[in-house]
Amino acid sequence: MRMTPVLTRLAWRYLWRNHRRTIIMLSAIAVGSWAMIFMTALTRGMVDQMIADGISVLPGHVQVHDPEFLNDPSVANRITIPDRELAASFDGAEFRAWASRVRVPAVIMSERESRGVTLLGIDPAAEREFSFVSYDEVEGRFLESPDDNGVVIGRKLADKLDTEVGKRIVLMSQDPDNEIADRGFRVVGLFEASMPSFEESFVFIGKTTAQKMLRIGEATTEVVFLGDDYRDVDPTYELVAERVDGGLDVRRWHEIDTYLGTMLKVMDGFVLIWVVVIFLALSFGLVNTLVMAVFERVREIGLMLALGMKPSSILAQILIESMLLLATGLLIGDVLAVLTIQPLQGGIDISAVAEGMEMMGASSVLYPKLYLDDVVLANVVVLILGFLASLSPAWRASRYEPVEAITKVG
Amino acid sequence: MNIVLRLAWRNLWRQPRRTWLTTGAMVFSNTLLVFMISLQFGMYELMIDNTLQVFTGHMQVQAPGYRDDQKMRQAVPGILPLATRLRDEFELDTIAARGWAFGLASSDERSYGIGIFGVEPDYEPGVSSIPGLIKEGRFLEDYDEPGIVIGAVLARNLRVGIGDELTLLGSGRDGSFAAAVVNVVGIFESGIPDIDRNFAEMPLGLFQDVFYMEGAGHQVVISAETLDAAELLLPQLVASLPADAGLVVHDWDALQPGLKQAIQADMSSAFFMYGILVILVAFSVLNTQLMSVLERTHEFGIVLSLGLRPGRLGRLVMLETALMGFMGLVIGAITGTIFTTWFTVNGLSIPGMEEMAAMFNLPARVYPETTFGTAIAGPLIVYAFTLLAALYPALRLYRLHPVEAMRIN
Amino acid sequence: MSSVRCVDLRKTYRQGDQDVKALDHVSIEIDEGGFVCLVAPSGGGKTTLLNAIGGLDIPDSGEVWVAEQRIDEMSKGELADLRLANIGFVFQAYNLIPVLTAQENVEFVMQVQGVPAAERREKSMAILEEVGLRGLEDRRPAEMSGGQQQRVAVARAIVSRPALVLADEPTANLDSKTSDELMELFTELNRHHNTTFVIATHDQRVMRYAKRIVRMLDGRIVEDLEQDAA
Ligand SMILES: Nc1ncnc2c1ncn2[C@@H]1O[C@H](COP(=O)(O)OP(=O)(O)OP(=O)(O)O)[C@@H](O)[C@H]1O
Ligand SMILES: [Mg+2]
Repeated sequence: MRMTPVLTRLAWRYLWRNHRRTIIMLSAIAVGSWAMIFMTALTRGMVDQMIADGISVLPGHVQVHDPEFLNDPSVANRITIPDRELAASFDGAEFRAWASRVRVPAVIMSERESRGVTLLGIDPAAEREFSFVSYDEVEGRFLESPDDNGVVIGRKLADKLDTEVGKRIVLMSQDPDNEIADRGFRVVGLFEASMPSFEESFVFIGKTTAQKMLRIGEATTEVVFLGDDYRDVDPTYELVAERVDGGLDVRRWHEIDTYLGTMLKVMDGFVLIWVVVIFLALSFGLVNTLVMAVFERVREIGLMLALGMKPSSILAQILIESMLLLATGLLIGDVLAVLTIQPLQGGIDISAVAEGMEMMGASSVLYPKLYLDDVVLANVVVLILGFLASLSPAWRASRYEPVEAITKVG
Repeated sequence: MNIVLRLAWRNLWRQPRRTWLTTGAMVFSNTLLVFMISLQFGMYELMIDNTLQVFTGHMQVQAPGYRDDQKMRQAVPGILPLATRLRDEFELDTIAARGWAFGLASSDERSYGIGIFGVEPDYEPGVSSIPGLIKEGRFLEDYDEPGIVIGAVLARNLRVGIGDELTLLGSGRDGSFAAAVVNVVGIFESGIPDIDRNFAEMPLGLFQDVFYMEGAGHQVVISAETLDAAELLLPQLVASLPADAGLVVHDWDALQPGLKQAIQADMSSAFFMYGILVILVAFSVLNTQLMSVLERTHEFGIVLSLGLRPGRLGRLVMLETALMGFMGLVIGAITGTIFTTWFTVNGLSIPGMEEMAAMFNLPARVYPETTFGTAIAGPLIVYAFTLLAALYPALRLYRLHPVEAMRIN
Repeated sequence: MSSVRCVDLRKTYRQGDQDVKALDHVSIEIDEGGFVCLVAPSGGGKTTLLNAIGGLDIPDSGEVWVAEQRIDEMSKGELADLRLANIGFVFQAYNLIPVLTAQENVEFVMQVQGVPAAERREKSMAILEEVGLRGLEDRRPAEMSGGQQQRVAVARAIVSRPALVLADEPTANLDSKTSDELMELFTELNRHHNTTFVIATHDQRVMRYAKRIVRMLDGRIVEDLEQDAA
């Protein structure tokens, strides 16, 4: 430990003795670590956006359904607890938001066309905060109350149905006895969404209106809860699970949308693999540089040994040199990454491949997301693996016999 | 062997560890590139094939505007005679007419909105994989039979089995109310939940009756042997359509724009990654060759003072790089091929990937295959960048002054 | 008390297909406070003997004692500690660490010994002054002449006042004036601090300062003379 300052100074000076080699290696490390972080930020951004979008259509980090509902999404599998009782058990707990709603598959028919949609019967006030539709930007108006008589549909769907604000459409679904439940509605608003498929597949009506139309009294089909962070939904889950009796099914969002759930995991794996692959590509150059650096100064190593420096200090010196090289390169790479990601925070337009991104469930604007965790991961992995890769050249350097080293002919 | 070549070769082995490490960087990247490129293009092909063979086919004849809006009235009139004529003209059985509508399907217990295809029982198997995926009952047989084939998830949701009745409600071509009662004759299972949950197929004749199509349909689907054959077929098909009918032909690109774009998006991120790998190898080579030039400064000084031209020294350095790069290329292509072949035999499945794979109509286990192209493309690019990287050290030699060079040791 | 004692040292190098006896039954005892010149033609075995005494090289047979410790059987770590604490080295070539300045080179051994910075500074400045390198403290070896580099090496060898200094041709690159100054310095250290010096040299001027001259030829000691130092 006492030796560290001496060794560090020696290592740093040796690093700059052959400045060309060091600069090349630093550039390689900087490019490598930049690529690690930049690429990670892009994928994170994409996945975050996908999940944000995904969660926004099935809002609720934790959701409660009848156990059968997810397999068989019919009003037959509804939650019969009225809102009053739900409110009584949930209002005490600290949720960012919660809401109950009616969500069933339905057919929407205009004068000319019919399409399949997901019918959402909502309390507009309760969902304002987390709906994927921003109420104020709706053409016409959004629903005003649970017993609103109008319907709000997506602009794309309106085009396909040849309908518009003010015109009438018919919604058809089933009631609990499998009688056709249908009702005419006037289109009061058209919404736009980040993904075209949302505009085609969701239709909003008032919750009470939906309950009347489907003849389910005060029942709903799902109760949803929002926590603070979609990555960490367990606290919310615990809170909900405590308060819901055993007859209902409580799930985290990634247990409902397994595609998004696995996406998140796969991306974590991808980030790690990417970091390791880049490191491996760098490691050859790193080891090469160290081997060269040792080779060039065999005599000097011999001299230091002859003067009484211990082999372990030689080992430490080479390791420190390697760590300094890596750390400097990483630092430059990190700074580069921040500098290149910052201007892109406003989003990268990739609408050229919008439909392809939609196929993956992503929208056509990519917002890179720089997470401290990812930056730390990249840096730490590189330092640790770099340390391991440097052990062999460093060890060899410390094994020289002083006389042989000094008399070695270059 | 040529003397210069031999000299270059020997020079490489003055520092065997360095040469091996640099070659190692190339081999590593090349192996990875061969594997990734093989996997990637194999997956694209699978994605395209699997996606197109479900419903889309290689191209379709449609009414203008139908592709974007899928409105009932954007129909192709007299679709059966048209399909028959095309089959005769191109002597191709993989041409089939279809209608498409949306409706509410009700069983005794449940009602769901679904997409309903009206298909030609005889020819649908030539353009779609669905008829081959019947796992219970049978596919449609007669143009007018009151039968329907539905997906397995839909059957479960509707709680129906073979022989059960379904009521269909929807809008006809003219917007009027359409209704029919049909029997479930078959249940298919594609393994792709979206398809198994949302679709049904009924005979085209019945479809035309129920939805008041008056002989019209919505698409004539054409599949060729291969994608390339499809490309050749397209202009002939366009030419053979009656000019006044106002019909259009869309190829698969236009029908599934998402597919090509998903591939493009994936390719651009993959190429970014490959690019980084190649750049890192280039840095490695630059480093090595610069070192090897610098440490020979003294000796180069001597040969220069003896009257050798700097150009020849530069060429020597390039030749050394070319030799080293060639080793990296050959070894990398071979290890890459071996590595990939292991997966060709054993298959590759990434835990947790099934869901994502299904999203793109891919099986959970894929079998990447190397071709000469995929085995050589990556390594060649690495090779090119290797030579490029060595230019700087080689060109530096032109600035070398013999006397100064000899002072350095 | 003896500072160095070698008993029947032998060291053979193989050169091609013939054996070269670098040390051939060499026995020598040097008392504390001794000032010995090793004189031999090139290839006579001077460096080999110095290396053996310094524990840098292990002879094929025989014993080496330094400060009453048998060093040819010590571990590398023990040897390193012994050198650090007791021995100052001046090598024939490649004496300095090129990335360190003159002063840092001089401080190097002390730094490894753990001498505090202030003390290091003071001592190194003083010693550089003594060897006539004042003003060159911040130069790196590449920026100094061969003679200046040699003086830095000497300064480093003596700065921590080792009991034994082993010097291999210390005046090889020095002009007569500076080499005289250097030898005065050695003599003074020898007198006041009782430092033992073993110096390998061809230089007649150096020999004049020695109390004892040991002549070698082909690895053997051929003459061992006490003399009155100048
Ligand atoms: N590493 C070695 N390998 C082979 N032979 C060696 C080695 N080191 C020394 N020798 C041989 O041992 C003999 C003694 O060498 P040594 O270096 O001790 O001579 P020296 O007296 O110091 O000569 P000089 O005055 O030239 O420095 C010489 O013949 C030399 O060639
Ligand atoms: Mg010698």
